[in-house]
Amino acid sequence: MTVAADCALDMRGISKTFPGVKALSDVNFAVKFGTVHAVVGENGAGKSTLMKVLNGSYAPTSGTIRVGGAEVRMRRPADAQALGIRMVHQEINLVPDLSVAENVYLGRMPGKWTFLRKGEMIRAATAVLDELGAAIDPRERLGNLSISQQQLVEIAKAYAAQPRIIVLDEPTSSLSEHETAALFRILRKMRDDGIAIIYISHRLKEVLEIADEVTVLRDGSMIETRPIEGINAAHMIRLMVGREVSNVFPKSPAEIGKSVLRVERISDGTRFRDVSFDVRAGEILGLTGLVGAGRSEVARAIFGLSRLVEGSVTVNGREVSINSPSQAVRAGIAYVPEDRKGDGVVPGMSIRENISLPILRRLSRFGRISRSADHALAAESVKQFSISPPDGERRINLLSGGNQQKAVIAKWLAAKPLVLILDEPTRGVDVGAKAEIHHIIGQLVAGGMAVVMISSELPEILGVCDRVVVMRDGHASEPLLRSELSEERIMALATGEEMA
Amino acid sequence: MTEAAMEIGGVNRNDRFTRGSRLVGVLSKAGLAFAILAVMLYGSFVSPAFFTSGNLLNVLTSMSIVGIVVVGMTFVLVVGGLADLSVPATIACGAILSLGLQPVIGPLPAFVLAVGLAGLIGLLNGVLVGYVGINPIIATLGIGTIGLGIVQAAVGGVIVYGSNPASAEFAKGRLFGIPVVVLIFLVIALVGHFVLSRSFWGRWTLATGGNYSAAEASAVPVQAVKAGAFVITALASGISGGLLGLTLQSARPLIGGGYEFSAITAVVVGGVSIVGGFGSVPRAIAGLIFVQLLTNVMVLDGVRTPIQGFVLGILIVGAVGMDAALRKRGVS
Repeated sequence: MTVAADCALDMRGISKTFPGVKALSDVNFAVKFGTVHAVVGENGAGKSTLMKVLNGSYAPTSGTIRVGGAEVRMRRPADAQALGIRMVHQEINLVPDLSVAENVYLGRMPGKWTFLRKGEMIRAATAVLDELGAAIDPRERLGNLSISQQQLVEIAKAYAAQPRIIVLDEPTSSLSEHETAALFRILRKMRDDGIAIIYISHRLKEVLEIADEVTVLRDGSMIETRPIEGINAAHMIRLMVGREVSNVFPKSPAEIGKSVLRVERISDGTRFRDVSFDVRAGEILGLTGLVGAGRSEVARAIFGLSRLVEGSVTVNGREVSINSPSQAVRAGIAYVPEDRKGDGVVPGMSIRENISLPILRRLSRFGRISRSADHALAAESVKQFSISPPDGERRINLLSGGNQQKAVIAKWLAAKPLVLILDEPTRGVDVGAKAEIHHIIGQLVAGGMAVVMISSELPEILGVCDRVVVMRDGHASEPLLRSELSEERIMALATGEEMA
Repeated sequence: MTEAAMEIGGVNRNDRFTRGSRLVGVLSKAGLAFAILAVMLYGSFVSPAFFTSGNLLNVLTSMSIVGIVVVGMTFVLVVGGLADLSVPATIACGAILSLGLQPVIGPLPAFVLAVGLAGLIGLLNGVLVGYVGINPIIATLGIGTIGLGIVQAAVGGVIVYGSNPASAEFAKGRLFGIPVVVLIFLVIALVGHFVLSRSFWGRWTLATGGNYSAAEASAVPVQAVKAGAFVITALASGISGGLLGLTLQSARPLIGGGYEFSAITAVVVGGVSIVGGFGSVPRAIAGLIFVQLLTNVMVLDGVRTPIQGFVLGILIVGAVGMDAALRKRGVS
């Protein structure tokens, strides 16, 4: 590969060694101006490390970096920004109490000394948002926006800095399909402006749709860089995992029994109304819809994390009143939350301490936790869910996302629930872990558990679920059988648009 | 640390500090033990009075009164409750009532009732902090001020004296050569340590302080756990106040002033995290031993009082700064 004039970025022979671990070995990575370049790989493949080298957070152990043809050395993120490299992270890094315009120009506000020229800032922000085709009022308080709009503001912030290279790390993980389409329009616009876009995603379907080129990383090495034409998802997965993953969404057939959880006309007074559905033993019920449609709110209310003002919840035919998660657990309901970092794990605690948390009282006598029961439970869970590293004493926040998620699921299965509600269980986990999680869910329903799965990813919903409820603006559709569903039909229900 | 561990969606932003972590880890575990040894060594050089059994026994006794509060305060910090500033009120409640009620109901019932009423103050704190969601500093300051006011009004703002010499003798006495107060402190410390490290309540306390939302979503009764930490502290302070009253045989309403500061200092210097989720009773007690010995050595060395305050202030700021740094490096 020669260094052409249109080469925005050329990283050569990049290695990065941490004590005891070689995170990157001899990686070559080049991106052209005016292209979308996808980077794919399992968690731990080295994507984040490579991007941290690119953004100046890490100094590479060896290798050279050229930006726009000139060799550069970056010691800190500010150096990368000065070179026109901007990162848009998976999590929103904005200030909720400032306006959209203030967020867009945070750190580079126009104006001299201490006086901000507010009017100028709002005009500039309006121009940037218009250019990106985002219908957002720059005067609005950021915290009032939906997550997807905040994500757009994050991108507008990067764009307003007139970068040469933009790195997007899992930008669609909190977006629904509809919003993703809007994001892609913006990305194509930026690409046509000549910006080099590096796009990191686990969602291969999106990569195929948006990317011009793709680089596959595996175990810290660059496996292949190639044009997107002529490659399909199965091929990409094979390159990423180094093996064939035969069925991305394996659904083991389970015998469907009687209704276990039934909710009737439940409302929380604000975010959802009149939601009814039931889940039967051995069944996976999908709950989908756009972000903000009220899916997670329904789940959190059933689990007692927020209050219901109307409606009834019955478990195995008996009506239950649930005002707290511990009551939900007693009723046989478990909930794996969407926000793993915020609601799923206690970071300073070990895998063992996290797993036994909901059933500590059952493991205790006279208030004292049985050491042997506690350790046995952790050992069993680690083995059953092949949590890696297989060490119950490891602090849970040191695990990869997929392994944290497996531990959170293990935590709830230890409570032996009748119904398991999973909120975006495979979001942000790699292909291998995703298949494992689907496999676990399959085994659970085979064992007679009733599962409610919330997901924004339509192929996952269609691949895994027996029936699907689509939510829109706090209202739920009738449960639909898988056989009567297609992605188009779900999108039509989710957006309220008529089908063509 | 493996690459997989670093890729957790930006959770671990500080992995570039991992290199120094072994040294930092050793320091965070054994640093306090070294510091205590250093102070003892220094003390024995500057003052021949330091290593006398009389002096050390004095330090131990005065340490025990604060130490009982420290055990409770550890729960407040670990649960993420910042600090309990109502300690002066609960100590006063314990001291004044356990002396003042002696002629009415006898020494033991007076003591129990005093501790119970102190616990009630803690319950109020706990409800306000845990269930209503008021900032702990404000809630405990407010409740403490009200509680102290009530206690003052009840005794008419004067000093209360003991009227039962037998109870005074017991509190000031020794068992197997060890002061009774010290023994009571040791028992409370052991119970506190057991509850925090071995019981489900302790695990809940650590989880609630570590990640409130995740603990709540894991069916931990987070509101009760948070409230409980304040009840535990108030009960401990009530006991501490009762013992203080019995040993002094007199109690004025401001008897507990400064104990909240001493207890918080000890807990923080012991390396218990000010933002919750990490800490243990032995750590807090190690912090207490260090601070008390240091103060004692400074007194024996003739260091002037303002300078002593200066040193303690630096200690607190240093300890909190260390906590922040360790948290970043992911050691604590």
